[in-house]
Amino acid sequence: MAVGPLSPEPEQSTGPRRPTDPFDAPAVVWRPISAKLATARRIVTGVMAAVLALLLLVPVLVTDLTWPAWGFLLLAGAYGWAWWLIGRQVSAWAYAERSEELLVRSGRLWRRIVVVPYGRLQYVDVEAGPLARAFGIASVQLHTASAGTDSRIPGLESTEAATLRDRLTERGQAQLAGL
Amino acid sequence: MTVESVPQAGRPGHAGEAGWQRVHPLTPAIRSWQALAVVGFFLARDLGEGWLGGDRSSPSVPVPGREVGLRVWLAGGGLIVLVLLAVLAFMALSWRMTRYRITADTLELRRGVLFRQHRLAQLDRLQAVDVSQPFLARLFGLARLTVEVAGAGASSIELAFLTETVAQDLRNRLLAGAAGLEFSGEVAPEAPEHYWLEVPLPRLVASILLSGSTAMLLVTSLGLVAVMVASGSLAAAAGIVPTALGIGGVLWSRFTRGFGFRVATSPDGLRLRHGLLETRTQTVPPGRVQAVRLSQPLLWRRLDWWQVEVNVAGYGTRRSDSSGSSETTLLPVGTRADALAVTAFVAPDLGVGAGEHPRVVVDAGLDDVGPGHGFVASPPAARWFDWISWRRNGFRVTRTVLLIRSGMMVRRLVMVPHARTQSLAVQQGPLQRRLGLASFALHSTPGPISPVAAHLDVAVAAELLEAQAERSRQARAAAGPERWMRGVGTARPDDSELRPSPPPGH
Repeated sequence: MAVGPLSPEPEQSTGPRRPTDPFDAPAVVWRPISAKLATARRIVTGVMAAVLALLLLVPVLVTDLTWPAWGFLLLAGAYGWAWWLIGRQVSAWAYAERSEELLVRSGRLWRRIVVVPYGRLQYVDVEAGPLARAFGIASVQLHTASAGTDSRIPGLESTEAATLRDRLTERGQAQLAGL
Repeated sequence: MTVESVPQAGRPGHAGEAGWQRVHPLTPAIRSWQALAVVGFFLARDLGEGWLGGDRSSPSVPVPGREVGLRVWLAGGGLIVLVLLAVLAFMALSWRMTRYRITADTLELRRGVLFRQHRLAQLDRLQAVDVSQPFLARLFGLARLTVEVAGAGASSIELAFLTETVAQDLRNRLLAGAAGLEFSGEVAPEAPEHYWLEVPLPRLVASILLSGSTAMLLVTSLGLVAVMVASGSLAAAAGIVPTALGIGGVLWSRFTRGFGFRVATSPDGLRLRHGLLETRTQTVPPGRVQAVRLSQPLLWRRLDWWQVEVNVAGYGTRRSDSSGSSETTLLPVGTRADALAVTAFVAPDLGVGAGEHPRVVVDAGLDDVGPGHGFVASPPAARWFDWISWRRNGFRVTRTVLLIRSGMMVRRLVMVPHARTQSLAVQQGPLQRRLGLASFALHSTPGPISPVAAHLDVAVAAELLEAQAERSRQARAAAGPERWMRGVGTARPDDSELRPSPPPGH
């Protein structure tokens, strides 16, 4: 199940972004992550919903109660909401490479931006589970000496993940600083 | 104790093979003294009873008759002796397999009988060196040397046990190697130390009595006494025991660790000595401190006492209990002047403007609320999150350091050098967004301090994020060498320059 807020907040009023918005650094190109991640997550959520539906089917078939049938409607509604939420979460995730830092932003309701200098790089993780591999996506994470650095970028195309990893290590070596 | 059964072969310092050395032969005995004491106790008791002819009945072995009893004794005793011998043989083997070597650039440790380990640490990555003496080791004049390197998990290298002189000599060599100091001869020169402060025992005791834990203990005790009086039964008294034990344990450990706390400076860094039963000498080289925090619990305010804690890479990943990790405390309690002096040593250059005195800026960070002295405070909208302390929450940027001020009841001031910033983040929840607020976080190495400037104005947070990224970029480029003595030659920097000169009229 996607971790999300109980109620989605309304879309921000349109209009020009303030230049002082912390979640949009000036003069950088934000790259979105792959929409395949949304599909993958929707499948996982769908499987969970299906299991719940099967469990719900038991009282409907065994007993002659009618109220469990409403559960299907509720489940369908919840899945629709999760579908929408996953789409929003995935579309909010983006990264940008500046000359000396990697920027990662995520979340819509709880927004977050992380700035990680390449010079602080300790190691890079590239991970892909079985479903992610089937979709040809992987996640890239840059680790520093701090445990607080959460710079995970999920759902990159495998080739993009590999080139990003290489670029990050290269820049990390070029700009290496001590602790 | 079964000290005499440990093989005496191979004195430390003479393990043959190109520089590899062994730890002290008493090591296995001291490491496993509890187990040995238990075994020794039972053995002595059983043997004693056996020699007495087994006419005293033992609870573990029934004695139906004299003949059978003797046979049981012999068999049982033989088995115990056999097991004991096997354990001792294993200990001796494990001692033989533990070897270390120091070269100009590295420290190596080999150990393990079945699962061998060979760990190699680069000295220029060294973060701190501790010499500690658990009580029993102290009785035998032995010490444990712990070398911290910045790594995830259990990354430290522990050499235990060594004689005190060997441990100190090794520490000097390691620090000299880490500093890149060239020296001639076998023995590295010990960096000269200057003692400059000590925590007096009455102050330590008072600081512990004036802590929140003590208050909690008092309140629970009073509550239970009230219950006992009201109910007229002593049943409630049972409830006080676990609480008292728990809190008492915390207070006691705070006391033993803070006992005899002395701070000295040396060119190799800050040197801390403390401990009642287990003593510890820590050396934290310059530039290894990632963040500093001064804090003052409510009850200390009248006395103007402060505690100083630090993040040092390597220390943070070790176990730490509820009363805080002992290694990360630079000063358990001290006057404001003490705390500032210690802080000034680990963060020597505050980088304030030309017309300002650093002391004034720090004082503003320790005491003030709202804007002033360059501090940027949270806007009034932040009161929705922080009813009381929103007026105090704020930050100040200087040329070299970011100061983050927070806490109305427990006052806190965190300082992070720009050159020690790992990464940055800004976060914003839905309510913050509606109120135009955002929180700024600075990621430091693991430790007691996680610097966060909470609920800033969103535009301020945006600017801070951008500016702080730029400042840490410049600081990284200008950062000094990891080996702090390299290029300095043999001249040691004079630490008196690092100490803050008091403001005029103070």
